[in-house]
Amino acid sequence: MEGVFPRAMFTILGIPVRDTIVSTWIMMAIIVGAAAIIGRRWPMALEMLVDFLIDTISGVMGRPAGPYLPLLGTLAIFIAFANLLSILPTIPLPNGRMFPIVSPTRDINTPLSLALVVFFSVHYFGIRAKGIVGYFKAMASPIFMLPLEIVGQLSRTLSLTLRLFGNVLSTEMIVAVIFALVPLIVPLPLVAFSMLTGVLQAYIFTVLATVYIGAGLEASEQ
Amino acid sequence: MEISPGTLVTLVTIVTSGVMILFGTITPAIVEGRAVLKALEGMTRQPEVADRIRATLFISMALLESTAIYVLLICLVLIFANPLLDRFF
Repeated sequence: MEGVFPRAMFTILGIPVRDTIVSTWIMMAIIVGAAAIIGRRWPMALEMLVDFLIDTISGVMGRPAGPYLPLLGTLAIFIAFANLLSILPTIPLPNGRMFPIVSPTRDINTPLSLALVVFFSVHYFGIRAKGIVGYFKAMASPIFMLPLEIVGQLSRTLSLTLRLFGNVLSTEMIVAVIFALVPLIVPLPLVAFSMLTGVLQAYIFTVLATVYIGAGLEASEQ
Repeated sequence: MEISPGTLVTLVTIVTSGVMILFGTITPAIVEGRAVLKALEGMTRQPEVADRIRATLFISMALLESTAIYVLLICLVLIFANPLLDRFF
């Protein structure tokens, strides 16, 4: 069962570059290309996407989605494309090897960095709404809740990371196991299931990030 | 028959992973089923707030589901990257 964990493909200046990084570059090119093409041919589709994001964010947060739309919308689109990327086939390289396109979220570093972005943006938006003294005063009221609050902040970052990573890894492993048993037709429903799970996880990650940012703002308003 | 420590650790790892994944999937499945049941009851009783119930249901299902995912991750670490095996091999 090799391929469970990401491999280093090549090195740049002594830094090993994993296959998930290369997949992320390919995914970025796909997103930019798709945005350019869809924006020119069917601009209504992009408007519907942005409307859906605005409705979701403002519905969960209970306030206008304007300042938070760039961050949360980018998270949603990035994670959705990252989870869907594994359905693409492998690319044969010139030197005879194959380059498998894997989900960037299958490497635990990608969900961890996304969760850290959410972690810091919660404090950024909270401090911007209330000022640094007021934010930390609101967080530490009453004062004996402060350790609990810190543990909660760290554990929610960890759970965001592990939820995304575990879901993507488990669905890909199910597909891989069934593919090793019966390579024809039979894995298709499971591939569809992994696509559904990927989009659902992107939605859930975005909604949870919205809930956390909203909670930070409400803590700073009381 | 003499059993080497590495074999023993591998054996215990395999049995533990099986038992772990058993209990770690039974519990979230029962709890999630209960959550879906309640949400469906609420949706049929009050269809006008079905959208809000559905959004909350998705979030809570994700939170419940993550416990099973933690169990799965620990199983994967035990099977594919067992830290105890390095001591004996």
